[in-house]
Amino acid sequence: MSFSYTQENTIKVASLLNKYPQKKALVLPLLWMAQKQDSFISEDAISHISEFLNLEYMHIYSVATFYTMFKLQKPQKKLIEVCRTLSCELNGSEDIKSYLDNNYGDDYEIIEVECMGACSGAPMCTVDGKYHENLTPKSLDEVLK
Amino acid sequence: MITKIVSKNFEIPNSHTMEVALENGRYSSLKSLFEKEPQEIIETIKQSGLRGKGGGGALAGNKWQIVNDWDGTKYVVVNADESEPGTFKDRRILSLDPHLLIEGIIATCYAVSSNISYIYVRGEYEEFSDVLQAAIDEAYEKNFLGNGAKYKVDITIHRGAGAYICGEKSALLESLEGNRGHPRLKPHSPEPEFYFGEPTLVNNVETIASVPFIVQNGADAYRAYGTEKSPGTLLFAISGNINKPGVYEAEFGVSMLDYIEKIGGGVKNGKKLKAVIPGGASTPVLPAGLLKDAKLDYESLKSIGSALGTGGMIILDEDASMVKALKNLLRFYHHESCGQCTPCREGTSWSDKILDRFLAKKATKEDLNILRSVSKTMNGKTICVFAPAASGVIDGFLEHFEAEFLECIV
Amino acid sequence: MKIIIDNTEIECQEGDLLIDVMLKNSVKIPHFCYQEDLGANGNCRMCMVEIKGAKRPQIACDTFVCENLEVSTKSQNITEVKRSILELELLNHPVDCPICDQAGECKLQDYYMDYGLYDSHQNTPKTKKGKHIDLGSNVMLDQERCVLCTRCVRFTSNITKTGELGIIGRGDSARVAVAPGRELNNPYAMNVVELCPVGALTSKDFRFAQRVWFLDSTKSICHGCSRGCNIHIDYNETKYSDEKVHRFRSRRNNSINKSFLCDYGRLSYKELNNTYSGEVSKVEDLKQLLDVDKKLALASPSLSYQQLEAIKEFCQNKNIELFSLAYIDNSFGDNWLKTNDMSANFASVKELSINTNESEFLKSFENATLVINFDHKKLSDMELTNKKVVEFTSSQIKSSSELIFSFANFAHESGTLINCDGIKQQFFASKYKDKHPRLIEILEEL
Repeated sequence: MSFSYTQENTIKVASLLNKYPQKKALVLPLLWMAQKQDSFISEDAISHISEFLNLEYMHIYSVATFYTMFKLQKPQKKLIEVCRTLSCELNGSEDIKSYLDNNYGDDYEIIEVECMGACSGAPMCTVDGKYHENLTPKSLDEVLK
Repeated sequence: MITKIVSKNFEIPNSHTMEVALENGRYSSLKSLFEKEPQEIIETIKQSGLRGKGGGGALAGNKWQIVNDWDGTKYVVVNADESEPGTFKDRRILSLDPHLLIEGIIATCYAVSSNISYIYVRGEYEEFSDVLQAAIDEAYEKNFLGNGAKYKVDITIHRGAGAYICGEKSALLESLEGNRGHPRLKPHSPEPEFYFGEPTLVNNVETIASVPFIVQNGADAYRAYGTEKSPGTLLFAISGNINKPGVYEAEFGVSMLDYIEKIGGGVKNGKKLKAVIPGGASTPVLPAGLLKDAKLDYESLKSIGSALGTGGMIILDEDASMVKALKNLLRFYHHESCGQCTPCREGTSWSDKILDRFLAKKATKEDLNILRSVSKTMNGKTICVFAPAASGVIDGFLEHFEAEFLECIV
Repeated sequence: MKIIIDNTEIECQEGDLLIDVMLKNSVKIPHFCYQEDLGANGNCRMCMVEIKGAKRPQIACDTFVCENLEVSTKSQNITEVKRSILELELLNHPVDCPICDQAGECKLQDYYMDYGLYDSHQNTPKTKKGKHIDLGSNVMLDQERCVLCTRCVRFTSNITKTGELGIIGRGDSARVAVAPGRELNNPYAMNVVELCPVGALTSKDFRFAQRVWFLDSTKSICHGCSRGCNIHIDYNETKYSDEKVHRFRSRRNNSINKSFLCDYGRLSYKELNNTYSGEVSKVEDLKQLLDVDKKLALASPSLSYQQLEAIKEFCQNKNIELFSLAYIDNSFGDNWLKTNDMSANFASVKELSINTNESEFLKSFENATLVINFDHKKLSDMELTNKKVVEFTSSQIKSSSELIFSFANFAHESGTLINCDGIKQQFFASKYKDKHPRLIEILEEL
């Protein structure tokens, strides 16, 4: 198996085992740690988690495909997520998405996501997971350039 | 008009740090807490009439009693999966006053004799859950939590990974157990929730954050705010076509139009108010005409055909297209359905696709009938309330804004 | 206690599940996800019934019976509920009936005829998913036809505990799959084909072979090992070609195999089509050969009790030493259905006191000049030079023999088998007369 957790993560895993009544509860935390380490969840990582938790490979894989934030392919570019739900749409999220597609489409992977809990700062997006609110083309340029 | 119980410390700089939190009253309710027996605390919560603030509005005290009375190891799970469109209040508590939440968890655990708590935070809130984790670490250091505390409580943050349905409490527990977030079949008689077979209390962040005030000041102090059936306050939120979007705590029962004008600053750009979705995307839309006497509490909104939900108001102005708005919401439902049961999986998908025909102005009269019929099939025949909520949303739009939909029919 | 279903009183016990009571009493109740051996899952929502006093319709698979329960499956309300849920099941279902093997035994077709019969309102594009995916172990998956009842997933998770199948994705893009690069691989894999109520999981072996409405069925027992799992033999005979057995299906027997078969047994139907078609010898020739001293007979332990009894009598009359040896394969048995004893009726051999001692057999075999083989598979492995061999076969001949008689295989016989737990079971002949005579008839002529 060519996947293993870093020294730091291995210590974290050990401490997590004490916090849950059964080790199968660790599926989500372990998937997150693998993704943080490699920027995506590889087949080897899933095998490793499956063996570690004594659960079927398919179970881990099936859980990983259920949640939108887990990436099963290695990302080629940094990720921008633009919220498209109602409050953001009412405040011009579609224009923000077009602006991003037209100006930053080559350097970033730009996708639409559902409500991110930032409705008072609409329109918003995340860059590499960090929230940026009250967006205008100008403020986007400042963040991304 | 703004009442500050839960949001008291929000605007104090560094309110999330232990030092500032202690200076501003955090953990001061623990003294009153430990002077009472756990059952007394449950009685106090019952008397206060505290209702769940995650959208359901169920009486918290009754839930606590059921968990307390069930044999087994008790768990307290805090639902911080806040993914309801238009709702962003729990995020404020996590990042601006996490010690209030921790204080509330200690009180809740003490009341139901639990020593283990999990906070299920939505995956997207990574920045805020980091602040929360730092606060938890500080609480351990100060012996409010862990082995050195007067009452041992352990708190673990469990991150979600992008699934709205995990905010449904049984789906949350499935996810916490390491499975796909599929809601469970509902029991036929009153039962607590179960985590790995043990009785578990699941409450929203704000519900738990309201507990310290009640413990310290008593049930009557809480009832002094709000209405008889909806006592206390709520972190109402307002967004959309509004001048001052944000989270502003108010007592239940204030007039919705007053809130929109005086707190929200009125509709942006001087436009006229067309419609309000009162409590997040799961509540039926209300046209401005019905809002004259509408109050921000559970009963008033129910009586005019909607619901308070999470109290996250989305304001739509005169230029907003109701067809586009419904499409936006149905696309959300389509994307977030867990896919377990047939009426929801197929119904949310079909109704979303039909709205495309309306948007393209290529709909037929048949489409309107199908939309109504699909809405009926999604209501009351599924495992959880996700599909019934979608059904309510469709019915609300069609009832009050049918004209705009008829315009899209060729 | 008594409950009322559609104005009829029905007897049941406390703790019974409503859907079980309904199925046992032949009340029509549509369902996909419930299966007697897998339990309920509550996701298809087809088994909704109206219960007096309940606000909303309830699913029968999650309702326990109680005193004074009144159930309605025929009210206008619940009929409309069933129709609307069926409509949603069919919404994204591909119109594959003309090429789908499940046609004729498909639950969606059956329920549409019972509760549907509506004009389609389909006006939006259907969701596309994977088709004709080879999962391995003779199972083909078509994700578009799937109704996500999760029976197959629960089978591999809870029954075989091999966990190959699972649901990936979410919402209407949820689909059944195996993990990338992996395949369905366990000795009971083909049960998912039978479990699947629609044409999502089909047998690669049976693919495009035959329309099921042309098939006749007979109740039989699998002869693959001593478990004696109950089967249906599905066969047909067409105008210009011989009768053919197309497949085995499981037959419910709650004491032995429930509703499952192992893949080896399920595919052992092929032997039934592989019969001898060469020249057969005359009975007179055998009568002449029997005038020798050292005669030995070896009988297959998979013959029926009645056939073994007839052979024993024949051997006693003609003074032939009779043996029967077990087919043991210690790698075959497991802790569920498969047993190391791969013969169907060794217990009958024991009951009839036929000699099963291998060393005694070998000693007699050395000296024998005439060996009569009653269908035993292992004789052809032995050194047969200087011996005259008479073969009685129900399938093919491997070695060259002095005389050959072929007789009807178990699809054309009825008889008794005793399984590894001592349970006596009957199997029955198919309705077509086989061109091969019955073994007992041949022996009677002698």
